[in-house]
Amino acid sequence: MATGHDGPTGDWFGNSEQISRLPGKVFAATCLAATLFGIVMVAGLLVYVTKDAIRPLTANPGWFLVFFLTLVVPSTALLAYFGRRRDGEATVALTALGIPFFGLLLGSGVLMLFIDVIGIFEWLAFVAATIVAVGVILGHRRVRGRTSFLEELLVGVVALVGLGPVTYQFISTFPTLPQAWLIYLFTFGLGGAAIAGLLVARRRNDRRAGLTAFTALFVTVTAGVFIDPSTGITPPVWVILFTFAAIPTALYAEGVVRRRQGSLPVGLFFPFVVVAGMLVGAVLVDLLGFAGPQAWLDIQFLTSANSRFPEEAGIYPALIGSILMMVVVAISSFPIGVGAALYLEEYAPSSGPLSVVVKFIEINIANLAGVPSVVYGLLGLALFVNWLDFASGIVVVGGMTVGLLILPIIIISAQEAIRAVPGSLRQASYGMGATRWQTIRRVVLPEALPGILTGSILAFGRAIGETAPLLMIGAAASVFRAPNGFFDIFSAMPRQIYTWVGQPSQEFQYGVMAAGVVTLVTVMISMNAAAILIRNKYERRS
Amino acid sequence: MSNENMTTPDPNTESGSRVESQTSPRPGSEVVDSDELNRPKTSETVVSSRDLDVFYGDTQALQGIDIEIPKKQVTAMIGPSGCGKSTFLRCINRMNDLIDSCRIEGELKFEAKNVYDSDVDPVALRRRIGMVFQSPNPFPKTIYENVAYGLKIQGKTENMDQKVEDALKSAALWDEVKDRLDESGLDLSGGQQQRLCIARAIAVDPEVILMDEPASALDPVATSQVEDLISDLAEEYTVVIVTHNMQQAARISDKTAVFLTGGELVEFDDTQKVFENPESQRVEDYITGKFG
Amino acid sequence: MSQENNTPDFVGRSGIRSAREQSIKWLLFGCAALSVAVTTAIVATLLFDAIDFFLEVSPMAFFFGTTWSPTIDQAFGVVPLVAGTLFVTVLSACIAIPVGVASATYLSEYASRKTRSIIKPALEILAGIPTVVYGYFALVYLTPALEWLGLPLSTFNALSASIMIGIMIIPMVSSLSEDAMSAVPDSLRQAGYGMGATKLEVSTGVVIPAAASGIFSSFILALSRAIGETMIVVVAAGMRPRLVPSPFESLEVMTAAMVQLVTTDIAGGSTAYRAMFAIGITLFAITFAMNLASTFVASRYREEYQ
Repeated sequence: MATGHDGPTGDWFGNSEQISRLPGKVFAATCLAATLFGIVMVAGLLVYVTKDAIRPLTANPGWFLVFFLTLVVPSTALLAYFGRRRDGEATVALTALGIPFFGLLLGSGVLMLFIDVIGIFEWLAFVAATIVAVGVILGHRRVRGRTSFLEELLVGVVALVGLGPVTYQFISTFPTLPQAWLIYLFTFGLGGAAIAGLLVARRRNDRRAGLTAFTALFVTVTAGVFIDPSTGITPPVWVILFTFAAIPTALYAEGVVRRRQGSLPVGLFFPFVVVAGMLVGAVLVDLLGFAGPQAWLDIQFLTSANSRFPEEAGIYPALIGSILMMVVVAISSFPIGVGAALYLEEYAPSSGPLSVVVKFIEINIANLAGVPSVVYGLLGLALFVNWLDFASGIVVVGGMTVGLLILPIIIISAQEAIRAVPGSLRQASYGMGATRWQTIRRVVLPEALPGILTGSILAFGRAIGETAPLLMIGAAASVFRAPNGFFDIFSAMPRQIYTWVGQPSQEFQYGVMAAGVVTLVTVMISMNAAAILIRNKYERRS
Repeated sequence: MSNENMTTPDPNTESGSRVESQTSPRPGSEVVDSDELNRPKTSETVVSSRDLDVFYGDTQALQGIDIEIPKKQVTAMIGPSGCGKSTFLRCINRMNDLIDSCRIEGELKFEAKNVYDSDVDPVALRRRIGMVFQSPNPFPKTIYENVAYGLKIQGKTENMDQKVEDALKSAALWDEVKDRLDESGLDLSGGQQQRLCIARAIAVDPEVILMDEPASALDPVATSQVEDLISDLAEEYTVVIVTHNMQQAARISDKTAVFLTGGELVEFDDTQKVFENPESQRVEDYITGKFG
Repeated sequence: MSQENNTPDFVGRSGIRSAREQSIKWLLFGCAALSVAVTTAIVATLLFDAIDFFLEVSPMAFFFGTTWSPTIDQAFGVVPLVAGTLFVTVLSACIAIPVGVASATYLSEYASRKTRSIIKPALEILAGIPTVVYGYFALVYLTPALEWLGLPLSTFNALSASIMIGIMIIPMVSSLSEDAMSAVPDSLRQAGYGMGATKLEVSTGVVIPAAASGIFSSFILALSRAIGETMIVVVAAGMRPRLVPSPFESLEVMTAAMVQLVTTDIAGGSTAYRAMFAIGITLFAITFAMNLASTFVASRYREEYQ
């Protein structure tokens, strides 16, 4: 890196002479300005569009004052205090707030799928089939001794694909079926509590601690089911949100407490301060009659379908469409991308006839990453719709098209992560008599996983904003109900935004569209932030 | 390294031309070694090579190596950098297979079986011949997981706690780590890490342990701990150690092989004899520090 | 071979283990080879319909025709679209190239570790913002702002779309150029300082020339991205094909023409529908050639310094 020192060096000849420092300083300033140009401009535009979406000026000043006093002041003060203590308490505080936040986001996504897309009995059938498949694999392993990986894969796929529908048929013939809340409780609640219990037991090397954790979590999640549904907290809402937000948070808190051994980790109370601030603020605002901002981006926008009237327009079906599409994208691109990267980094020979093929594949992947997205859209249209005869504009077609689009990005970033694993670890593993696959699975993959995840999440962030391929494969301009499966017609958030571009009225241009843009960008930035957090966490450790 | 004073032709350099006649192994042919009578301990040979040539692409790294490594003794390999001693070590457990450009001719026997025969499984071979590397390379896992790694990949999962404990005790590390087996192996000091790597290698109970300059990255105290450990290990295992440190070889080994530039094995004999009364003038020059 | 009685246990490949290893190896190879299948599929699907198109419309009329009016006049001259694409690309390059190189210079030569650790994620986010959002910014904020400055802009215009494309591809230029500059060995910089050069002289006189091929390859890649960019132009630049584009007026680029064709109701097998694939394969050929060129140029600097 740069090693020059242009700082003042005291009195020396030439100090005030010919060699002027000015051009250098101007150059450095220009370069800095150029670096900031794009960032500042886009940041400014994002602030502007957020302003249009939220419309803060429509709110009563008292409203801001109340929330400033109840939420901003206490939490900022607390954070500043933690920051000055310099013992990592601020990190604990922010993580303790961040984990439930991301957990709630993820949980809400899953919850929406269960409300609108996946039937509860389909889910039950799927879980049952999975259990049977795992059982078959384990049984198979016991009978056959050491089985081949492909065999296991085959048995697993057959068990899942074959059993799923059969189980569904079978289950639907039952005279009495378990109640929905029981199914949620025993699939999500029990599963989550069991995983948490196992983790605690392993971390503490103490079976009883694990059992205690499991019991405590499971009892809590069961108790929550009996909350009065009229509060809005119905059993599925409670169970799913608890599983995705509360259990990871509890696990994190347990880890912090265990590491601190004795001294109380006060940072863990930060989220309570934030939530309490919000609640108190809301109550006060209501009591004092201060009106909040007339935001375009509100609950109504997030939960209703598009409409001719800007006040009633919403993004809900497109949001669900995007989530469903991302499921297809992840399934279709992640395993293949990581597999390809593993082959290229771990297996590919550097000499011999196959090395020519490998070289060709690598050049090809680099070039695929530069193919315009609209061309991928044409590929999806021709391949899936025209040749394979899928219906146009359905979720799987959109997902697979975008999946193909981000496949080269995932391969390239996964390759980088795998390459960063030191060769000495591989040598050590081979020297112990490990086979190539054992070395990959037990040494290379665990080391490379954070890097692979970071790259993949960034790629998924790009996928969620892709519009052109969706236009080409004929995703709907606007749908008025959420797709009810992977083979249903859908619209995604960016596609819906493009539809609104055609609405000339001011309310749509500066209101509804701004709200849509803010929603989309928020999702994308949270994904990027998660990726960057993962990267920082693991970079620091190694 | 000065190559100038190596102009004297050595009888061993001819061995390269004998490769053609060596295409098929001759079963039952006894290798006659003039040193046979001088050995202090009569012991059976566990690894032996005849006319072993190794090439990386077009460059020859080893020329016609003949050696017989005795069982349950420490055999040291010394020589200047780039003389091929590490290459030879990696031939024994076929680690060189991982390098695409590497080509091996001649014969290298482990327990009377040529390990380069087509029916040998290098993975199974490496499970019998452990290896310790130049700089400590524990896995980024817990201490326990590091030692248990070999047992797990070989499916020997019964009685694992006991085996891990035994291996750590044999590696003289147990007392230092018994209370923190679930901490990362990377949290240990350099010398402890290297002993952890040794424990990892002996946990699966191999016949031979190959060590590639195991102390070169360690401070003097850690080095002497590892050296003591190596001497202890020779009671149960055959140890082959590569080192660039002649004093170390003199201290810990029973047999010493001297490789010189160009990939030749110039002398192989009892350590005492090699250091006090070498047969070759070049070896004497090397050992007394005239070159190298 | 001759070990009948006392076969050591490392002899003979363990059948199951070997089969497992081989099956995994070929499964992973299949994953890697899939990328070739994707390329083949792209070429095949595009060619399939493009050939049909060229059977109906002569390649001469397509590549040299000066009128693009596929649905009304059945005129399939691609020249106005190519002209529009080139125009937008050049305009956006005017922004992205100087800004990108300057910012790469700053990040590689001037910025402290801490500054870099803040700016690089920010640039990553810049690169990750959906293009439809950039298009929205251009249409709804940038165009009115530029009008306010006194530029005679129509609602859809090439200028604001090009500016947004330029901003979008800055991160690409800057990160790839920075990689190239960081790969320049420190010994070269030391030599420069040893001769009494200032930091400015070392940056512009030593580092940038030494990294030239890497920087150049980043330009090619970024321009190919600009050529293939769709949503910004579709949203903000309009859909009116022009032989001689003006920055203040709307125009139509190749990608926008494809979107226009697919979103208007055209019959599946019609000539207009197939024209989409003809543009598609032209676009694919151009960008693919540029990517190859970029890889080739970039491989030269890797050879020089690594």
